[in-house]
Order: sequence, then structure tokens, then C-alpha cells
Amino acid sequence: MKSESMHDSSFRDPSGFIFYRNNVLYRQVNRVFQDDFDLFIDSGLYAALANKKFLIPHEEVDVTPAVPSTSYKIIKPEIVPFVSYPYEWCFSQLKDAALMTLDIQKTALEYDMTLKDSSAYNVQFINGKPVFIDTLSFEKYVEGKPWVAYGQFCRHFLAPLALMSYRDVRLNQLLRIYIDGVPLDLASKLLPFSTRFKFSLLTNIHIHAGSRKHYSDKAIKPSGGRVSRMGLLGLIDNLESTVKKLRWEPGGTEWADYYSDTNYSPEAFERKKQVVAEFLDEIKPATAWDLGANTGEFSRIVSKKGIYTISSDTDPAAVERNYLHCKKNGTSNILPLLLDLTNPSPSLGWAGSERDSFIARGPADVVLALALLHHLAVSNNVPFPRIADFFSRICRSLIVEYIPKSDSQVRRLLATRKDIFSDYTREAFEKAFEKHFKISGSEKLRDSERVLYLYRRRS
Amino acid sequence: MNRVRMTLIVLSFACVVCFIFERPAHAYLDMGTGSFFLQVAIASFLGVLVTLKIYWRKLKKRLALIFSRKKDPPDNEV
Repeated sequence: MKSESMHDSSFRDPSGFIFYRNNVLYRQVNRVFQDDFDLFIDSGLYAALANKKFLIPHEEVDVTPAVPSTSYKIIKPEIVPFVSYPYEWCFSQLKDAALMTLDIQKTALEYDMTLKDSSAYNVQFINGKPVFIDTLSFEKYVEGKPWVAYGQFCRHFLAPLALMSYRDVRLNQLLRIYIDGVPLDLASKLLPFSTRFKFSLLTNIHIHAGSRKHYSDKAIKPSGGRVSRMGLLGLIDNLESTVKKLRWEPGGTEWADYYSDTNYSPEAFERKKQVVAEFLDEIKPATAWDLGANTGEFSRIVSKKGIYTISSDTDPAAVERNYLHCKKNGTSNILPLLLDLTNPSPSLGWAGSERDSFIARGPADVVLALALLHHLAVSNNVPFPRIADFFSRICRSLIVEYIPKSDSQVRRLLATRKDIFSDYTREAFEKAFEKHFKISGSEKLRDSERVLYLYRRRS
Repeated sequence: MNRVRMTLIVLSFACVVCFIFERPAHAYLDMGTGSFFLQVAIASFLGVLVTLKIYWRKLKKRLALIFSRKKDPPDNEV
């Protein structure tokens, strides 16, 4: 339960802020933003964006403002089921978020308004699609005025996408270090020289970086420059076509062929799916985190039961495939996320609390840890008691698979290193987990030595 | 054709140099002077291209209309 407080991420824009009261999220619109907010509603832009499902819907409510002296209105936005951040998105998620942001700016211009903020943190994934969540990011468009959020768009979207596409997909992790987007001088240094021969990347990243450096200590004079509406549309079209052309194909990765490289039979695999489904029926969760989900095969079993599922993996290719699969099939209640469980997203930003850590966004009703334990215990040297303790902090119930050392997947991990894991036994596993959880069910999978457990957290 | 394209590009960049001066930018987000001037330059260039594209499309449509009329046989010949 959260008491009334301004949200830790909502302090930069004087137009308003979000706050919690009795565990309900509200947004205060400040009087200083009254004209722009009224124009946003009265012009029809809000309705147009809400109809396109580009913007989070809200209702105006009659509640006491959090700060009455500055308040114009209070709105209650729809709740985002799970807040995720750009450094947790795969390539196509960031690309879709970028294209939607540009589409919103084009739509806004049709209504004589403009986006004053193009932060990637203003985008969340709802029902499988990117949605803009900052209702106060629109202001009246003044003919001749440049797009104030242009530089931010390049740092938050264009630079990381170009780096992922032309250099290495893992460079999206720069967004975790640079909370206001990848600095353009860094992007320019990291991008291959050949990108200087592409007009859009040459101008929007390389020359842009040089221009920022050149003018770093110079102010914009009142007689600055002018950007015509046609020029602005040309710029947005140019950014749009550039982003569309950026591609990344998920190639074969370490675990891409995982499902065809197990040492159990197709029947045992089917039985594993059935047991997971039966366990889910027993606990009836509303939310699930499928950790180490690979391409989301088991997440789909969960989501088909109407359970909102976070489907995370550390492999960018697996997350990319998972997202594209969900997109193609219109799966709305799975959110694929890129997450390294051995180093999950920490809380970040100002005062270390602007962006929530992954753990703070829990606990989930159920965590699925299927074919995961050996990665944590063997590849990352985490003893079972620490793994059990971690899981007890992020879920109320746990479906976990124990995989013995004799299994081909564990043997594969041990092939290149000395076996120092004398405590990696079924007995040690059960002892560690039963300290935090009560066992609700277990089944040894036929034709294999793997065992599935259903645990419920104690107290 | 290349010379025409080159002339167009040079003309477009000439427009970039001829900024029309107006108002200062005010916003809670600091857009950065470098981003500001670069945007003015790129947008001026792209604005010219967009305008040319629009007129080129209109011209193509008109020409297509003229030629399709010429191709149509007179009513009394049908």
C-alpha cells in the first residue's frame, strides 16, 4: 500500500505530476499547463490518440489535489499492468516504441499541437503494444518553432537502435547507464564508419554530435532559427524512414535450439507442459513471471489461462523472437523482457529511485523457474539457499524444475569447468527451498530425471 | 539528370543558410543549442525536398491526366 506521495519519477516537468493516494494513481495537471491541456482535449487530439490506442486513457476526477495551490485538474489514468524500461526491451520493442512516438508527433501536428517530450520512458507496453503514458507531453504548436524533443528522440531511440543494428544488439544496455539516452558523441564514436555514408545517420547522429559539441557553451539567441511546418514534417518523415530501415535479425544463439537439444522425450516435454498447467490451475494466479523463458513456449501456456505474464530472458535473440511471436499472434497478455537474472535491473536515476528495480515491481503471484536453476547454480555459482531466498522475495508461489547433474544441459555447463558443486543435489535443493516455501506438489517427469515442484511461500 | 539533382541539393542547402530569424525556444526540456541549429538546418533542407516532392507528384498527376486524355479516342470514333 502506497501512501500519498509524488511519484519519484515525476518531478521534471512543471506541467504536473503523478501521485498515489490510497493505492490509486492520479495525475495532477497544474494551472501553468491549463491552456495546453484544454487545447489537447478540446482540439480532439486526445480522442484521436486514444482511439488509435496510442495514448493511455484517463478520466477527470473530482478529488482533492495533492498540491491544491498549483492544481488545475486531477485525472485518473488507466493503470499500466507492468512498468518496463527501454533497457529491458528487445530491438523490435524499442523500434515499435520509436515509430509510435513519431506517429504521435505527426498526429499532434495535424491538431496544431506538438510533443514536448519524446522520452522512451513515456512509452509502456500494454496489451502487447507500445502506448504513450504521459498525457501532459503535448503543447500548442507555434509555427516556425523547432521540435523541442528532437535531440531527446535521437538519444532515446535513434542512437540505441542504430547501435543495436549496426554494431551490437547488446548496446541497448547503454540506456541503463545513460538515463537520458545514449550521448550522441558516444554513439558517433561507436557506430561503424560506414554509417557516415547514410544521410540520416550522418546528419541525425554524427553531425548532430559535432553540432552539440560546437555549440555546447553557446545559448540560442532570440533571433535563433525557424523551422517551417513542411520542414518539421520532412524531419519526422526522415526519422521515421530511418528507424524503419534499421533492422536486426536474431541469429542462432547459445540457447536458440534449446528445445530440440534436451535429453527427454517429446512425451516427457508434453507432460511437463501438462504438469505446469495443472499447477497453475491449483494456485489460480493473476500475474506470473516466467524467468529464463527463452522464446516463451511456457509463457504461452500461462497466458492462455488469462494470466498476465512477464516472459523474461537474458538472450536478446530469444526475447526478440518471443516479442515477434506475440506480435504476430496478437498475444496481448505476455510482456517479453530482456533481463539478466544474475544482475536484474536495479533502481536507477535521481536519488536512486526514479526507475524501480525489477524486484520492486513484484512480487508476482507465481514465478516459473523452468530449466533455470542450473544456470544460476552452476554458471553463476549461486548456492541453492541464496536462490531460494531470492525467489521467496519475488513471488508468492513458485513452479520450479530441478535438473540433476546427469542431465545433458547441466553436463554441457560442466563440460568446460571443474565440478565444484558438491552441494548440487536434489536433497540440498529441497532443503534450501523448504526453508522458505511449503511444498504443494511435485512430479518426476517420465523418461527423465527432472522433477517439477509447486511451492507456496511460507507466511 | 545528375546535374539537375546536384543543382537541387545545392539550392536546398542554400535555403539552409538563409534561416528566417524568429523567436527563441522556451520549454522545460533543454533542447540544446547544437540540436537546435542542426534541426533548423536539416528541416530546412528536408522541407525543400518535401515541397519539391509534393509539386513533382502534382505535376506527374497533371501530365498523366493530359496524356490519358490524348490517348482516349473521341466519342464519335467509338
